[in-house]
Amino acid sequence: MLRWKYSRPLLALLLIVLAIAPLFTALPLGMPGLQQTMAVAFIWGALALTYDLLFGFTGLLSFGHALYFATGVYVSCILINKEIVSWWLAAIIAIIASGVLAALVGAASLRTTGITFAMVTLAFGEAGHVIVGRNFFNLTGGENGIALNADFIPQFWIGVFNTKYIYWTALLALIITYVVVWWVTESSAGKVFAALRDNEQRVQVLGLNTQRFKLLSFVISGTLAGMLGFVMLIAAGSAAPRFAESSVTIALLLMVVIGGAVTRWGAVLGGIFYSFASTRMADLTQQESFTSIPHWIGGPIAEPALLLGIIFIFIVMFAPGGLSGAYYRLRLRALTRKSS
Amino acid sequence: MDTFILIGITGIGLGALYFLVAAGLSLIYGLMGVLNFAHGSFLSVGAFVGYWLATRLGPETTMTDFILAMIVGGLAAGLFALLMEQLLITRLYDRHIDQALVTVGVALVVGAVLGGWFGNDLIMFPTPLWFLTAINVGGAMIPADRVIYIATAVLLLIANWALLKFTRIGLIIRAGVENRNMVNALGINVRLAFSTVFFIGGFAAGVGGVLVSVYSNGVSPLIAGTYLIYGFIVVVIGGMGSVPGSFLAAMLIGVIRQFANYYVTGLGDFVVVILLAGVLLIRPQGLLGKVRA
Amino acid sequence: MNALSVKDLHVKINESHILHGVTFDVPRNKVTALLGRNGVGKSTTLRSIMGFYEGTGSIELNGKQILGMQTYKIVQSGVAFVPEDREIFSTLTVKENLLLAARSKDSQSAYKFIFGLFPELDTRAAQQAGSLSGGQQQMVAIARALLNKNEILLVDEPTKGLAPKLVTEVAEALTKVAEDSTMLLVEQNLALVKRVAQHVIVMDQGRVVYQGGPENLNDESWVHQMLGVSGGHK
Repeated sequence: MLRWKYSRPLLALLLIVLAIAPLFTALPLGMPGLQQTMAVAFIWGALALTYDLLFGFTGLLSFGHALYFATGVYVSCILINKEIVSWWLAAIIAIIASGVLAALVGAASLRTTGITFAMVTLAFGEAGHVIVGRNFFNLTGGENGIALNADFIPQFWIGVFNTKYIYWTALLALIITYVVVWWVTESSAGKVFAALRDNEQRVQVLGLNTQRFKLLSFVISGTLAGMLGFVMLIAAGSAAPRFAESSVTIALLLMVVIGGAVTRWGAVLGGIFYSFASTRMADLTQQESFTSIPHWIGGPIAEPALLLGIIFIFIVMFAPGGLSGAYYRLRLRALTRKSS
Repeated sequence: MDTFILIGITGIGLGALYFLVAAGLSLIYGLMGVLNFAHGSFLSVGAFVGYWLATRLGPETTMTDFILAMIVGGLAAGLFALLMEQLLITRLYDRHIDQALVTVGVALVVGAVLGGWFGNDLIMFPTPLWFLTAINVGGAMIPADRVIYIATAVLLLIANWALLKFTRIGLIIRAGVENRNMVNALGINVRLAFSTVFFIGGFAAGVGGVLVSVYSNGVSPLIAGTYLIYGFIVVVIGGMGSVPGSFLAAMLIGVIRQFANYYVTGLGDFVVVILLAGVLLIRPQGLLGKVRA
Repeated sequence: MNALSVKDLHVKINESHILHGVTFDVPRNKVTALLGRNGVGKSTTLRSIMGFYEGTGSIELNGKQILGMQTYKIVQSGVAFVPEDREIFSTLTVKENLLLAARSKDSQSAYKFIFGLFPELDTRAAQQAGSLSGGQQQMVAIARALLNKNEILLVDEPTKGLAPKLVTEVAEALTKVAEDSTMLLVEQNLALVKRVAQHVIVMDQGRVVYQGGPENLNDESWVHQMLGVSGGHK
């Protein structure tokens, strides 16, 4: 009822437009620059959705989600560079590795709840960050990361004019992520996740093993993040420690809250908007007109975190449902007005 | 043996810095249930205000100048903390997750503003020459600044203990950490205690910010993040709501980190993080914390 | 005027409608017992008067509307509370527990009265409250409610979980306190109620089903029907 009857067809239309737009070089999306920006935005949108499964749907506030994303990036990069397996096998192994890591860390962390759980996940996330940053076992390239050796991945991902293939790969990854999360949340397991978020005691009283369900959510979320790590590797061309930083998880938290934690499309929208806004703002500040603004205003505005932080504060204080929450509230108001 | 002493005291010096950040965090969480992600911002505000004052006080920084910078930086950070509490935190009363989220937003905004004004590179903090000398302790040559950190932390610990034990607001805070509702039920507006705790936490972090800027060879908005994470680690290991617990944990972590780094560079951070995970899984309430429902 | 006047109080807690239009009066300078089976809403009523829960209706303290006020302001208006489970501060000493509760500088006479009532509190002043026995903790809980001038004393199951000897001590203390104050007492122990109460309110399923004198308490069938007990201890 709350869903607008035209929303599904329109969404399908939007997807088709997004998919074929890069073919028309006259349109904005025909340009490699925008394609790259949008590809990265799609990845972040999908990543935000994986975080939403954990936080928005199951109520697990994790501060170490970046760990699984980074695992996907680094494992596939190392395997490909060292020619251990072909690129697609490397991707699969990286995805499995992320899943296994999530299972291990999840099993340990989920013995705690609430704030303690948040701190434990932060600890593991930071451990991962330290490992890739300090170049342990001389594998992870330290501060500068590892550049992906382009010889070992398919031609269609290399070169500026092939950016549209990266764009399509990212879009495909987003669609896959969305379908998986949609399927999980609509399934009976998904209903348990939502019940866990609202009242864990009631779920336990029903005789369900809450640990297993939480772990399931944790592992699915981490595995998808690992897949997106591989896609990011292709899009960015390198593995870098910044993918493992706690600031990544904080950014995901922002995306999910801004978009609306309880809805799937809200999280995706939040991720795309955040990524797009950060990149675009960085470009904006390079422009001529900008340098004429006095430094004490212009300096902070150049930092994307300022605008995002202000929006975030505003949403938390006055619109906790985020953008999608506001949308549904307006829709409810419109519907009740119609019926009265 | 003297290397041992050197690393030990350096570790305690580092622990002192962690304590200055953790003390406020611990009280704020213990009394109000707020996970204050903006605590690092208090550090930055104190650091930059202290820096601004120190540069104004003349080309040569004396000890008095430096102490003044510490105090003014602390006061500025305390006022900022109070402002944040009054404008944002009180309006989200009992919405704990939203309170934590709003502090994340504040941290972002402060980081962006300071980064925009001063840039993210390290700026040398005006330091008294005495800090660069070394003091002989049992054969080891200890850099003098470590002594200042330790002295400040000990002073804060004592002042905090005195406040909690001998003043009415301290009594209210102690009772409130145990049972906030019942304090209200005694006719006491516990929100006054909230504001006090935020101010004290901000002040301590601000003072810490000035000292951290000296320790890190410069002031920058980016340092706050690391110290915030370490602050949380110390608070969790020491026990939420327990300031002595934070002191103990801070010293422990500082020393362990220094020793680990001595044997293998970079191992320190890793060891601390594993220690955190270990403590959380074995004794979730921390060393001196109470088991919270 | 009645010390406390509750009219049509409805209270919902987490979607459960607990109080359904509770209406009663508490007369001044008397002990009013609030009785009923477990779970009918007696504690909820006291806690709603204290402002812990939101509700609709009216609660007047000496004619002044206190429904909707913040808890600490309600207490400052003259409501003192002895909660079920005592809720004293275990990390504070006995003396500190009392100090915390005293809101005016001028409490010398109040302290005298309390130490006369419970001499043990004076001797154990420096002891950590967490190490006290259940009965001693109950004394602290009652004592701190007496440290300020109050219009009404809300007491919630003061003898719960106490050994018979202690129940007698608490009963005696309450009787002495009752001589000079208005009390709304929730109690399961009927012997105690018969001893101190001059007015009785009975609740059932979130509503008041009886308001009147205590004479019926001696009628076993009435007691059985209203309260589901056979008189005396539960």
